[in-house]
Amino acid sequence: MGVLTAIFAREARLAWAGGGGAAGPAAFFLAAITLAPLAIGPAADLLAAAGPGILAFAALLSVLQSAERLFGDDFSDGTLDLYLLTPTSLAALCLAKVMGQASATLWPLPLIGVLGGLMYGLPPSSALVLGAALLAAIPALALIAGFAGALAAGIKRGGLLIALIATPMMVPVLIFAAGAGRSAFAGDERAVANLLLTLAISLGTVALAPFGIAAAVRGRLG
Amino acid sequence: MTSASLSQTDEPAPIFPELRLSVSGLALSRGDTLLARDLSFELGPGEAVLLTGRNGTGKTSFLRALAGFIEPDAGAISLNEAPPALAAADTIAWLGHADGLKPGETPRSALRFWADLYGQPRTAIMPALRALEIDHLIDRPAARLSRGQQRRCGLARIVLANRPLWLLDEPAGPLDAEGRACLAALVATHRARGGLVIAATHQPLDWPEARSLDMGRL
Repeated sequence: MGVLTAIFAREARLAWAGGGGAAGPAAFFLAAITLAPLAIGPAADLLAAAGPGILAFAALLSVLQSAERLFGDDFSDGTLDLYLLTPTSLAALCLAKVMGQASATLWPLPLIGVLGGLMYGLPPSSALVLGAALLAAIPALALIAGFAGALAAGIKRGGLLIALIATPMMVPVLIFAAGAGRSAFAGDERAVANLLLTLAISLGTVALAPFGIAAAVRGRLG
Repeated sequence: MTSASLSQTDEPAPIFPELRLSVSGLALSRGDTLLARDLSFELGPGEAVLLTGRNGTGKTSFLRALAGFIEPDAGAISLNEAPPALAAADTIAWLGHADGLKPGETPRSALRFWADLYGQPRTAIMPALRALEIDHLIDRPAARLSRGQQRRCGLARIVLANRPLWLLDEPAGPLDAEGRACLAALVATHRARGGLVIAATHQPLDWPEARSLDMGRL
């Protein structure tokens, strides 16, 4: 098995075995989107209008759930040291690691997004656009959370630091992913543009974030 | 049945290409504390160094500098004339304080992963576990292994890595007498192949002709 495939597979396996797999983020996401209407009230038009925003926001927060473990565990059990001593580029290795974990833990988010969209009273087509936007947002969200997690690796109660670092960087992807759902609901033509911008941010993050994560890992180990 | 006889029944491993480690004028500090100053030594094929000294005298920092994880304050480290940052990636097998094991992972899946990462055949896993006498624990999750068994698993990874320079931080810490005998046999085999070993230790390890470096006296 190739080095990157091996890391991807191991992270996915560990996330399933030790971290409860997708259950953590999915449970958080479901709880958040179920509670929000109770706070907002039963006005159907209000809920439908607010739905895309609430769903995108709750998805963003649920991604942060596992960010502390992602690099924190590897830091304390010495695995990160060993990653430094491989001929493979650390950036590529970090990308495979984050994506491996994301693939095992975050896959329900778009599905719950579609379901939640229907729950909030969006027409099926708008709910599907929102689900697609969340799917497009996952690489960016996972890598930003991974970057914050790497910066905070080995710090006690790093969760606070991770939230403070990651949330500002997640703003653009939140705006465009929620925007795609809102535009689809409002029936204006910007839905596709928002969707593509979400995807563009994800692709840009895939290209850049691994180097930031690698630098953060080196910094934490030095 | 000793580990020495076991490792001899395995096929003799090929000799490593010649590797020389050279440290000159090294200065290391942690925070405001100076750990070492003007430290120089050379290590060639088949040689071993035991780093001794009380807690906090910089044994781990020195090992981390040798691996290229931290930059020394002054001086140079070179592996065949190249700095560790360039040369470490395929020459160093590293055993830190922790063994790199995940609680839910078995030695089998952990070592399969490391075999892939080190580019070694998976067929090398069983001989490595046998050399540490933990082949019967191959399917037990790491959380249910004792500290000594976890250490043996970490050492099995070192064997599996098949790299010439071993940097070991307290390799014998949690090991029992039999474990230390396994370790001594593995180190002897490794040195016979032209490998280098540097180990920080509090326990007396009677490895033949191993030099001793007292970090507390630098």
